[in-house]
Amino acid sequence: MSDTVQDPGSDRDPDGDRSVIGSEMSGEDVAHGETLLEVDGLKKYFSQESGLLSGVSLDPSQFPPIEIGRNRVKAVDDVNFEIRRGETLGLVGESGCGKSTLGRTILRLLKPTDGNIYFKGQDLADLSGEALRQKRAEIQMIFQDPQSSLDPRMKVGRIIEEPMRAHGMLDDEGREARAKDLLEKVGLDSRHYNRHPHAFSGGQRQRVNLARALSVNPDFIVCDEPVSALDVSIQAQVLNTMEELQEEFGLTYLFIAHDLSVIRHISDRVAVMYLGNVVELAEKEELFENPQHPYTEALLESIPVPDPRQRDARGVLEGEVPSPVNPPSGCRFRTRCPRLIAPDEYAWTDEEWAHTRAFLRAVKRRTFEPMTAAEIEAEFFGGELPTGDAGEIVRRAIDHVATDRGDAGAGVGAETGSGTETESGSDTAGGPEGVGHPNVDWADATELLLESFARQSICARERPAYEVEPEYGTEPHFAACHLHR
Amino acid sequence: MSSEPLLRVENLKTQFFTDTGTVRAVDGISFEVYEGEIVGLVGESGAGKSVASMSLLRLVENPGEIVGGEVTYKGETIFGLEEGPDGELRKRDDMLSNEEMRDRIRGNEIAVIFQDPMESLNPVFTVGGQLREFIELNRDLSREKAREEAVDMLREVGIPDPEERYEEYPHQFSGGMRQRVLIAMALACEPNLIIADEPTTALDVTVEGQIIDLVDDLQEKYGTSFIWVTHDLGVVAEICDRVNVMYLGEIVEQAPIDELFYDTKHPYTDALLDSIPRPDRTVGELDPIEGVMPEAISPPSGCRFHPRCPDAREVCRRVHPENRVVDTTESAEPHRAACVKHDAFDVGYDESPPLEKEPQVTSEPDADTEAGVTGPGPGPGPGTGTGTGTGPGSSGGGGEGSE
Repeated sequence: MSDTVQDPGSDRDPDGDRSVIGSEMSGEDVAHGETLLEVDGLKKYFSQESGLLSGVSLDPSQFPPIEIGRNRVKAVDDVNFEIRRGETLGLVGESGCGKSTLGRTILRLLKPTDGNIYFKGQDLADLSGEALRQKRAEIQMIFQDPQSSLDPRMKVGRIIEEPMRAHGMLDDEGREARAKDLLEKVGLDSRHYNRHPHAFSGGQRQRVNLARALSVNPDFIVCDEPVSALDVSIQAQVLNTMEELQEEFGLTYLFIAHDLSVIRHISDRVAVMYLGNVVELAEKEELFENPQHPYTEALLESIPVPDPRQRDARGVLEGEVPSPVNPPSGCRFRTRCPRLIAPDEYAWTDEEWAHTRAFLRAVKRRTFEPMTAAEIEAEFFGGELPTGDAGEIVRRAIDHVATDRGDAGAGVGAETGSGTETESGSDTAGGPEGVGHPNVDWADATELLLESFARQSICARERPAYEVEPEYGTEPHFAACHLHR
Repeated sequence: MSSEPLLRVENLKTQFFTDTGTVRAVDGISFEVYEGEIVGLVGESGAGKSVASMSLLRLVENPGEIVGGEVTYKGETIFGLEEGPDGELRKRDDMLSNEEMRDRIRGNEIAVIFQDPMESLNPVFTVGGQLREFIELNRDLSREKAREEAVDMLREVGIPDPEERYEEYPHQFSGGMRQRVLIAMALACEPNLIIADEPTTALDVTVEGQIIDLVDDLQEKYGTSFIWVTHDLGVVAEICDRVNVMYLGEIVEQAPIDELFYDTKHPYTDALLDSIPRPDRTVGELDPIEGVMPEAISPPSGCRFHPRCPDAREVCRRVHPENRVVDTTESAEPHRAACVKHDAFDVGYDESPPLEKEPQVTSEPDADTEAGVTGPGPGPGPGTGTGTGTGPGSSGGGGEGSE
């Protein structure tokens, strides 16, 4: 994709003669609208020491991992996209989906496990040491927490000058002039040069962060939740400033956020991440108005809209993000997907499949009180089981969980007390009676249903990747969902 | 909305006595909560929402103190002052004692759900154990009964496989699940009122949606009233029946939900609504509120919003508007707003000259903000791109800003 391959030797030199502040770009090398950064098959796995994910998540010293295989957290798994000069690519997803890891890996704050990161044609994944350090003048980052990303003992001026010093830009006076200039550019005052970070409010601190990132005249800035910690009214101010700066300096942003409203406001194109994969990528308008992945749809539906007359429009996505240690096969969203595709083995009507899916989910999450087989049939299937083989399997599953059937032929309340997962259930609404139903075997039922249905679906067997015809705009629309097969 | 309110707050004032001065965190707010309704308390950080809600339970810590007003819950006085024989204010005799608050009110009658579920759960005890203990103590149940009840509550709030998870520790729960545990804990004693302090702010949107739905269902089932403290107008639109908008320690607008969004009466609420990016449509340019909220230690004169207000006139600097009924909805509910531009005030707003506005600050440390209004400056009018507003007129305000 990168048609502007640059001679790797022509690393930007730490120039001292760059004018104080410039809307001139450092890169005459990549024209506006051309690919600036391309991520190709990028993977980042973390080795997992103990059971707790949080303890290992951002520790590059864990590498190289000695053990290859199952116990690694696949935080970013085979991600491909490109970012063009001057655009803002929004990256959105729930917490834990790998968006921050992706941002940091692109910046090479983390070493990728596999894949390439081409920046102006040069593969950052290969760089290390001094060459990488030099490159960092062109790619900068803004962090979420404006408080902890500023050294409380340094004055603001010094903070902004620090990157220039590290890259040998300008002399002392030049740096001071540029720092003051930048303070004004980001909506602060040059007289703030001698203040400490504590004297600023959250929004202002984030502006200091912006000024620091801009000080070395970067081409590309990774913004990791830059406005999430700010109040709404301040958020709008900072977003506006970021847009102005982008225009003035020809910046390219990778804008990471969990807030879809913010993403919709600032992005040109949007990538949606789920569990380490990009599941959908399209132009902003197209993505928000014509989402093609069930996860994107669910995300969009679940945002509370600031309009009391649209109350009932909201949908709810059930369940939680599975563990990235052992992600689901095929489409990673399939375990929560409301539109899981029916396995071809059985002849389903849509209704039968919908019923079965609801039943499967309820059994897996054990969300209903144990009841008799007839009650289950009435509750989940409207009294009518699916026909054919599928119906037979469902019947067997019901046998596992119904209070009046049971494998051991035990009656209600019989105290066999055996079985691995004999789950007791008690009546919530009425009496606080904790009598278990020993013949209710959730685990077997879950396994039977999963094995017979969910794992037979194409969603479980193949990893989806499709291009969809866009309705808005002309940009390609990528959607990783088998519904588009 | 007839009958007596469940909770009545009148002219409540909570202040913090700090070295640098008295912070008027809550400055004379009044509102009611009726049975079965969800009342929103909305505002930016520093508006005093959390202090207000904690004051209702008399949970204000030193150096903070409730210094005035009255809080009545079901006819009982949670807080009230009277003038003693020596002219000093003293606590009224009918005010509930600390023991009564602890034993009867908190938890049993009024429960709280906090923002950060991790900090509200003890990491060294199992989730179930904590829930059980809470039920055991507050409802006087035996250990076994309380355990059963705890498992039931966990199931009720949608925790899958509650028997198993009863034995797990808080760190084994995700954020959303922890918040469900706290909701279970709040509901366990079937209180009549739950104060939810930013309960979904730390959660992902999908989880937030789940929690909101859960609260909706439970509220229908138990008829519990809620005070929902949040900064998120999306959540407010989703869940609240009536809303109080707070700005700098005061309630500036009070209205049923539909009127608040569609017939907004206070410029602050208006500005707040204009400044949020929308999930349901693309907004070209955001229209942020200029400047930042001043500190409650030295609020601006007159209307506290006037230095940032696009509609501000000279009179706004002088007259401090109380929250007054400015309109009545079709269902005869009052719509209150604290803005003198409404006829209900009649202080000469229409004749008053518009304020020449200082360029408002995106740039000054918060304490300084109000300094910008003392003299009319050459600043641009409202709606200027704030990104470049450098606020030269606003220096030298508070001591805090300067090095």
